[in-house]
Amino acid sequence: MQDNAPVATPRKGAGVTQGWLLLGLGLAMLALMLVLTIFAPLVAPYDPSATSPDSLAPASAAHWLGTDSIGRDVLSRLIVGGRTTLLITVSAVLIALVAGLILGLAAGYLGGRTDEIIMRLLDVVFAFPVLLLAIAVVAALGPTVPNLILTIAIVYTPAMARVVRAPVLSVKQWDHVEAARSVGMSEIRLVLRHILPIVVSPILVATSLTLSQTIFTVTALSFLGLGPPPPDPNWGGMLSEARQFMELAPLTVVGPALAIVFATLTFIIIANGLREVLDVGSVR
Amino acid sequence: MTTPSFPMTDDSDVAAQGMHRRSLLQLLTAGGAALAVPGLWSSLALAQGQTPVAGGTLTIGADADPIGLDPVTVNAFSSYDFTSLLYTGLLRWNAQMKVEPDLATGYEQPDPKTYVFKLRQGVKFHNGKDFSAADVKHTFDRIMNPATGSRLRALYSSVESVTVVDPFTVKFQLNATDAAFLSNLASNPNGAIVPAGVENLVTQPVGTGPFAFEAYQPNQQFSLTRFDGYYEKGEPYLAKVVFKFYKDQATLTSALRSRAIDMTWVKDPKVATAISRASQSFVSAPGQTSRTFPIWLNMKAKPLNDVKVRRALSLATDRKACLDTVLGGSGKVGAMIPESQVGGYDGTGELPYYKHDPAAAKALLAEAGYPNGLDLGDYIVVAANPLDVACAQILQQQWQAAGITVKLVPMETAPLLAKWASGDWPTLLSVALSWTPDPDGIFQYITSTSGYGKAMGSNDPELDKMIAEARAELDVPKRAAKNQAIQKRIAENAYVIQVYQYPLRWEIWWNYVQGYVPLAANIRSFVRTTWLKK
Amino acid sequence: MTRFVLGRLAWMAAILLGVSFVAFMLMRAIPGDFAIAAAGSQSVAPEVLATIRRDLGLDQPLMAQYLHWLGSALTGDFGKSFVTRQPVLGELLGRLAVTFQLTLLAAVIAAVMGVASGLAAARLRGATDWLVRLWNGLMLAVPNYVVATLIVLLFGLYFPEITVLGYTPFLESPLGNLASLLLPAFALALAVSVTIAENTRAAVLEVANQDFVMVARAKGLTPAAILRDYLMRNALTPVITAAGLKIAALLGGSILVETIFAIPGMGQYLFDSINSRDYPVIQAIVLVAAGIVVLVNTAIDIAYARVDARVQM
Repeated sequence: MQDNAPVATPRKGAGVTQGWLLLGLGLAMLALMLVLTIFAPLVAPYDPSATSPDSLAPASAAHWLGTDSIGRDVLSRLIVGGRTTLLITVSAVLIALVAGLILGLAAGYLGGRTDEIIMRLLDVVFAFPVLLLAIAVVAALGPTVPNLILTIAIVYTPAMARVVRAPVLSVKQWDHVEAARSVGMSEIRLVLRHILPIVVSPILVATSLTLSQTIFTVTALSFLGLGPPPPDPNWGGMLSEARQFMELAPLTVVGPALAIVFATLTFIIIANGLREVLDVGSVR
Repeated sequence: MTTPSFPMTDDSDVAAQGMHRRSLLQLLTAGGAALAVPGLWSSLALAQGQTPVAGGTLTIGADADPIGLDPVTVNAFSSYDFTSLLYTGLLRWNAQMKVEPDLATGYEQPDPKTYVFKLRQGVKFHNGKDFSAADVKHTFDRIMNPATGSRLRALYSSVESVTVVDPFTVKFQLNATDAAFLSNLASNPNGAIVPAGVENLVTQPVGTGPFAFEAYQPNQQFSLTRFDGYYEKGEPYLAKVVFKFYKDQATLTSALRSRAIDMTWVKDPKVATAISRASQSFVSAPGQTSRTFPIWLNMKAKPLNDVKVRRALSLATDRKACLDTVLGGSGKVGAMIPESQVGGYDGTGELPYYKHDPAAAKALLAEAGYPNGLDLGDYIVVAANPLDVACAQILQQQWQAAGITVKLVPMETAPLLAKWASGDWPTLLSVALSWTPDPDGIFQYITSTSGYGKAMGSNDPELDKMIAEARAELDVPKRAAKNQAIQKRIAENAYVIQVYQYPLRWEIWWNYVQGYVPLAANIRSFVRTTWLKK
Repeated sequence: MTRFVLGRLAWMAAILLGVSFVAFMLMRAIPGDFAIAAAGSQSVAPEVLATIRRDLGLDQPLMAQYLHWLGSALTGDFGKSFVTRQPVLGELLGRLAVTFQLTLLAAVIAAVMGVASGLAAARLRGATDWLVRLWNGLMLAVPNYVVATLIVLLFGLYFPEITVLGYTPFLESPLGNLASLLLPAFALALAVSVTIAENTRAAVLEVANQDFVMVARAKGLTPAAILRDYLMRNALTPVITAAGLKIAALLGGSILVETIFAIPGMGQYLFDSINSRDYPVIQAIVLVAAGIVVLVNTAIDIAYARVDARVQM
């Protein structure tokens, strides 16, 4: 994206405004999701696990999105299912972020052999297609929520570390970093005070992009039957269950599909907004 | 002395008992193919005055690949569809689930423990070799040889020896009267005969069946061709049978609708109903209720070694609600043996601790020392079976209302079966029971001497005795009464919590497929009489 | 240059070694007894398990098992499937061919859609640009398996007589083969086309501002001619690179899309193997897929280096 800076020059003002608009929209969508999921038990009209013989019912005033194959309210399951899905997504990305920060900072700042060893090891993990590696790890460890979080964290750590390392490599040659070093600042303080703030922008953008990809990976895993065990609902699992009956009750497919798209879209919008807004910030 | 019993009989069997068994069998065989395939088949094809047309390819959608094609060593249910077309046995089930002769032309029973079978002559194996008594002996020698590792060895435990009397006469000597013997011989693959001197049947099957092996591409398709040397005159009509594999129901049903396949079966009654409603051109037939959904209890340790806790669990279970929600009512409340078996439970009779009563369950729990409810921990279910997982989720809720909490653990089939066999599961575990040729096969899961019984901690000598006596009883009404008493005792002590019984498969096919009859034995034997009217 | 290529190849070998180790260890980390998993639906009598352990070499030290497995894998012997008891290799090759067909078709569809919409957005600007970018933003948020599921749902609801599931082999009917792969390839291509469209748009905009295009324009060449002669040549390089890099995404996506459309490729094979816990197959697929990704990435690295070298001259 840096490449088309010359093109973007005349539109810079517009880009920033657009960026703030996008960011605002994304954050509003995120807030909506967070409120719905945090207060899920209060918001959900029914107990998401309560079954009834009224199965595969169409949309009605009582069940806005109908019921699933064993008579559970689809809307309630979507809302509560968002909890599990987002919990796994956000915790996994946070762990990957912390791990990526430590490894990326260490590699980029220390350089030399440390850099070599860290990046080479990460390259091995990076060589796997993300979903494939996640499937293999979950299949081996067993699909529980902690295992899913751990797996996805492992899968995304190398990408995070790369994002952190690249700016660190260039930043550490900068004048004020050199100056700080010559003044005799301790290494740790140097990293925290001068290098970390400069790599923050790309990290923020990368984090929100990774969040959108993680939603995909988490739901894809549950779609493949490698999600958290029942009866707790989750979006991928709901979609896959509903596939069996989709001609009978199309809404049971459409509901989770829209939820997944909404969540992914939220993080993509935030990422794009951040990119526009922060790019300008870094120029200054 | 009683007549030989034909398990899984209905009222028409009473007539059979009046006749001398030899004359019955001779009558059945004398008429040849037309008489040997009566009932539904004739009502579907012959009654309409239609003559079967030869030729064509029948494409069947299946949801699982076969695992091995040697009937002696095969364990996987998914292989049965193939073995039942490739191999035949001395006896077979007809459309009404009565035993009728097949490779045998009849048998004599000089005494209750001895069966002498006369064999059909001029039968050929797919490799051109003639079928004779030596092949029958070879088959049973293989089954009885511990090195073969055949699961059939236990089923034929009453067989003491098999001897070749002459090339077309073979004698089975039993060590006890065995009501299950003939049913096992009639079932495929349990009674399938394999040729002597042929190796590697696992991948290169050679049998006497109506269709011969052509090709197999795992996960894609399995094709069979008409065996010209098949012994039933004119059969089979089809030139070719192709099985295509689709691993989930959504794909299967879609393939059926678009005519990529001509017939299939689905596991979920709701899907079956929806499809047959979608077009008038579908023929749909539920099987008999041949399958039950039980919860196996680990009674070796606290808290399930206490009968009060087990009874509380039974009382906390609303079987009717499970049935209505999971199966949309297409099934019946279940007991140890399904309705289609001798003395099977009809779903309505009174059984102890069957009435849903959470309050009584709570009271029993308090009596057992758990006034504040009880956490039973892991409840292990088969992850690959959506119906099982759905029912387990409903049970979890029902038990919660009575103060019993469980955690669902869906598990892969292989490790789950291993746990079940070894008794290495914490408290509760569900594996649905499929069709068996004889109810004794089901009771064997619970006797204190069997591996499975030991694994769950069965320890009721009286029950063992009742089960042994029922197996030895050849008189059908008496055996039914004995089987009912056994089921009552199991419910009384809540050794196993049975929830519901239902057909294993709902078969569906396009109406241009003629002459096909679904069989409760859950195999597709009647592909041999199927033809296409296109 | 030769040194660089040799270095990349050596590095590739090292990564593949690491990948193989990870693939091996993962499948040995499964909870429970590997021999029981290997027994599959067979009885789990102790004697049977002992035989299986011996046959699979499970009684050997772990490192020896790994080396043995790697040695066999290098000669194409991935062992036998726990389920079908057939060698994994034959089946894997057949399925790899199907997945190759599918991903190739998806790549073509993605390239056509992406380049066309990217060019349109960059050339026409205005409302078209805005629409294309909105569409791209939306499509980026729709996972391929959701697209696939919705396609199957729509056909099931409105055109139940049309076969959208299943696969027709090329030799059986070349046209049927194409038809059976079209929808799954489209589902797979959608997200990839977005990346290509964005890259095309950015590249065209960037190249359009560069001196040689300005010169060409000043010479009086028509915009269409400029586009053809200069833009396509210079702008497509990064586009093709991006498409190449998407191979991992396509391979990953094929797992889901093949499963939904019942295409007997490597992805569906993996899915089935996970469900039946067929570990030798999972291992082989993980190794092969990662191997392909590493190979493609190395090839791109080397190609890049060649282009760079030429540029610097």
